[in-house]
Amino acid sequence: MRRYTVLVALAVVFVAPLLWALGTSLKSQTEATRVPPTVWPAEPTARAYGTLFEGTTQTPVLRWFANSLIAATGQMILVLVVSSLAAYALARLEFRGKRVMFGVIVGTLLVPGFVFLIPSFLIVDALGWLDSLTVLIVPGAAGAFGVFFLRQFFLGLPRELDEAALIEGANHWHIFLRITLPLSKPALATLAVLSFLSNWNDFIWPIFVIFSPDYFTLPPGLSILQGAYTIDYPVIMAGAVLASVPVLILFALTQRYVIEGISRSGLKG
Amino acid sequence: MSLDNLTRRRMLGLGLGALVLTGCGGGGGPRQAAQQTTASTAAPTTYTGPAVSLAFWNGFTGGDGPFMKRLVEQFNAAHPTIKVTMNVYQWADYYAKVPAAVAAGQGPDLGIMHVDSVATNAARQVVLPLDDVAKALNLSEADFSPPVWQAGVYKGARYAIPLDVHPLGMFYNKTVLSKAGLDPDNPPKTGEEYLAALEELKKAGIQGHWATPFPFTGNMQFGSLLYQHGGQLFADDASVSRFAEEPGVQALTWLVELINKGYSPKNVGQDADFIALQNGKAAFNWNGIWSINTLRGVKNLEWGVAPLPQIGTEPAAWAGSHQFVIFKQRKPDQNKLTAAKVFINWISGHSIEWAKAGQVPARKSIRDGAEFQALKEQAAIGSQIDNLYFLPSVAGIGDASAVVDQAINAAILLKKSPKDALTEAAAKADKILEQNRKKYGA
Amino acid sequence: MATLTAKAGTARATTPVAWSGRATPYLFMAPYLVLFGVFVLAPAIYGLWVSLHDWDFLLEGRPFVGLDNYTALFDPASAVYGDFWMSMRATGVFTLLSVPFLVVLPLGVALLLNRPFRGRTFFRGLFFAPYVLGVAVVCLMWRLLLDPNLGLVDWLLGTDIAWTTSLPWGWVALVGVTVWWTLGFNGVIYLAGMQDIPRELYDAAKVDGAGRWAEFRHVTLPGLRPVMLFVVTTTILASANMFGQSYLLTQGAPGGETRTAIVYILQQGLAQYKMGSASAMSYVLTLALIVVSVINFRLFRGRS
Repeated sequence: MRRYTVLVALAVVFVAPLLWALGTSLKSQTEATRVPPTVWPAEPTARAYGTLFEGTTQTPVLRWFANSLIAATGQMILVLVVSSLAAYALARLEFRGKRVMFGVIVGTLLVPGFVFLIPSFLIVDALGWLDSLTVLIVPGAAGAFGVFFLRQFFLGLPRELDEAALIEGANHWHIFLRITLPLSKPALATLAVLSFLSNWNDFIWPIFVIFSPDYFTLPPGLSILQGAYTIDYPVIMAGAVLASVPVLILFALTQRYVIEGISRSGLKG
Repeated sequence: MSLDNLTRRRMLGLGLGALVLTGCGGGGGPRQAAQQTTASTAAPTTYTGPAVSLAFWNGFTGGDGPFMKRLVEQFNAAHPTIKVTMNVYQWADYYAKVPAAVAAGQGPDLGIMHVDSVATNAARQVVLPLDDVAKALNLSEADFSPPVWQAGVYKGARYAIPLDVHPLGMFYNKTVLSKAGLDPDNPPKTGEEYLAALEELKKAGIQGHWATPFPFTGNMQFGSLLYQHGGQLFADDASVSRFAEEPGVQALTWLVELINKGYSPKNVGQDADFIALQNGKAAFNWNGIWSINTLRGVKNLEWGVAPLPQIGTEPAAWAGSHQFVIFKQRKPDQNKLTAAKVFINWISGHSIEWAKAGQVPARKSIRDGAEFQALKEQAAIGSQIDNLYFLPSVAGIGDASAVVDQAINAAILLKKSPKDALTEAAAKADKILEQNRKKYGA
Repeated sequence: MATLTAKAGTARATTPVAWSGRATPYLFMAPYLVLFGVFVLAPAIYGLWVSLHDWDFLLEGRPFVGLDNYTALFDPASAVYGDFWMSMRATGVFTLLSVPFLVVLPLGVALLLNRPFRGRTFFRGLFFAPYVLGVAVVCLMWRLLLDPNLGLVDWLLGTDIAWTTSLPWGWVALVGVTVWWTLGFNGVIYLAGMQDIPRELYDAAKVDGAGRWAEFRHVTLPGLRPVMLFVVTTTILASANMFGQSYLLTQGAPGGETRTAIVYILQQGLAQYKMGSASAMSYVLTLALIVVSVINFRLFRGRS
């Protein structure tokens, strides 16, 4: 019971601002900035959502939504594949230069993003990737976060399984596919959500590499709709609501794997 | 970046991209700017070549966007062989995106820039010299207003053709004025009148002028007051900063005094001053002309706008200006350049429509016309046209101007005295100006 | 053990011969290394090169200036000295204040959410939800809610606190908003980590008569060690790289005291086009983070 009390109290603190944001998306701009503020819209209006979905050629919101989905999903898959392979080697295999490699990879996490921005721009320009979805998917998958994350999880898995499998003649590819990955479902699901989100909310990189509104993702796209001289709070919040839906769905779907992990922990005995 | 950039590009907004805008670094390095010019002998007002399409980028994402879009549609209808496509971006994003696109050879044909970004983008080879456009279109200083026209010149060459001017004005809440027993149709015009009105408002329990510590629009208010006291932000050639001289100290002290005298609350947040005006918490807000359309949309608000009151010894007001620019291409296309000239000239000639978006047309003939005078609010703010100031047209001037923002912030939040804040900032600004001279060539 | 054999048995059935040659580790690494080399390592090295120049990618003249960009950061008479170190200080303050909360609170919430109970998925989603929002939305929203004169928060509390324009309240707001926004991030990582801890260990602890606290200290914490190292490291890095909140929520107020190093670096590099100087600043910050991270790694190793 105490668990519920604490959780509910915490939940109120966490959810209240979100409800306020949802409410604001249903207010008029005048009401959104009223003093004293209204907590919930007194005169609800769907004006902000109307602005979002007017869908002029200038602001094809659904197209941006699709671009965001493609880019974030594409990058998520790429991250899961390349990071899990590399993390397996770093956590489970012995080879020359491993420590240095791991040090350098994690070391780049310490370098501020600014350093990479302009050089990366020059590189994708040379590759002819500017103004395409590729440029939104591939470069961002090179970050060290996923490798570091999965390596730490793989380290925590019991080695007995691998060793037994090796004795039985399995190779590393099979151990990776049949033992490590299935046991790491909670970690993979978590990385999937986090990597999806980092791409979903990225706004600085698209500014530099995407020129046509046709290839915009939601963050730079929605910023066109937010008003130029005064901040159109209802539209911003409506955009946020729209952008949250797919991520929350993905989260709910992946939670199944995180929870499933518990029932499987018996495996590790 | 300078004041204008800060505002219009909405450093306040979602644009984290706005980080990108804070400066106008620029300045044409050693490279010859005119590798490519727009030289052409084609007639400026008609286009007879093969069908061309022009990409026109700008940051008109507010209520002004639809006005420009309509103008573009009208232009396209009237010119069957020219198809202009307009793309809008948040200003902040735009100023980051355009140089990147131009560098990659994917830049648009023409666009709009704020006047204080022109020098930097000229120096950085993003935009092309337009002297021949001005010549071909027969445009001269007399067609605009001298400071606006001169502001588009960098190192002796013209890089921009003015579209509009957008000055600061004094917006006021009529209901609030009435409540304090003041005449809602006769707002204060002088420093004494202004302070007297604030005193009356105070008696009625209203803090009349919320002094904002943030660049939007605190820096513009400071600049306006400084010029009103006969000062200058920078020397004409931007060799040194001058904002810490007596007029600057007077200006900033006046703003801080609003708080000390109880005419303004302490610690005003970003945009709170403008919101307070709309909610009847404040009586006055010095804000840009673009606020006209915003305030029109507020239900049950009785408001008016007038020129800034003259607090100092002379009238003066901050202003920005949107200007046409033509972007550098990897392969210049004479037909497109000619078509672009036709477009610029046509829009400029039809800028009365643009004025309705909440702007003062740069073109004098339109500004003086009956149609513009009939736009009551725009005309009221536009009457300040001869008293506007612009930053020196020097690459990277915005870098030095950003330092002023910090001083204003510290002073209005009562962390430093106006004099100390400005003096420290001036030392820093001078170093930045020197750095930029080295970078862009004096 | 039965499961183990079953697993291994399957593996044997499908592939009798292992290709565990010397190349195996490198083959596993290869796809990532290609991406890493092109989009991380090469730019990072190029950035070092840039930091030795007065560099603007649009200007042809990019004079080599040696270590000038670095020495300027340590020269009190330079244009950048005062602002840079003020911003480094802001970053340090924010990191010190935020990391403890960002490491401990999500752990507490994850513990609460780890046991099976009704509505568990709902609560998990709820704590994660703020992180779904972009930083810009979060900051604009809180800037309005925390406005010193008009905001809902002061209005509800009946207070008169300048959350976004004065100190120390600015730090409270920055840390508070960051905790609200990103608690779910570390929370889901902890939750995933907890799934790796064999349930048998808990059962054994129960048999030994361990209480909740003992169970946490002797089973949960040790089981989470690799994940903790990850969380602590990445949280320090995230806090040291904070810029959106500083840029949009407090806008550096008052007088630049809450402007973080990254905000300053971005202003130098992308707004003033002093990309060489901004790169040098980035690497000085990197150096500071290397020191912190080495200490951090040592501490974790020492404990094991």
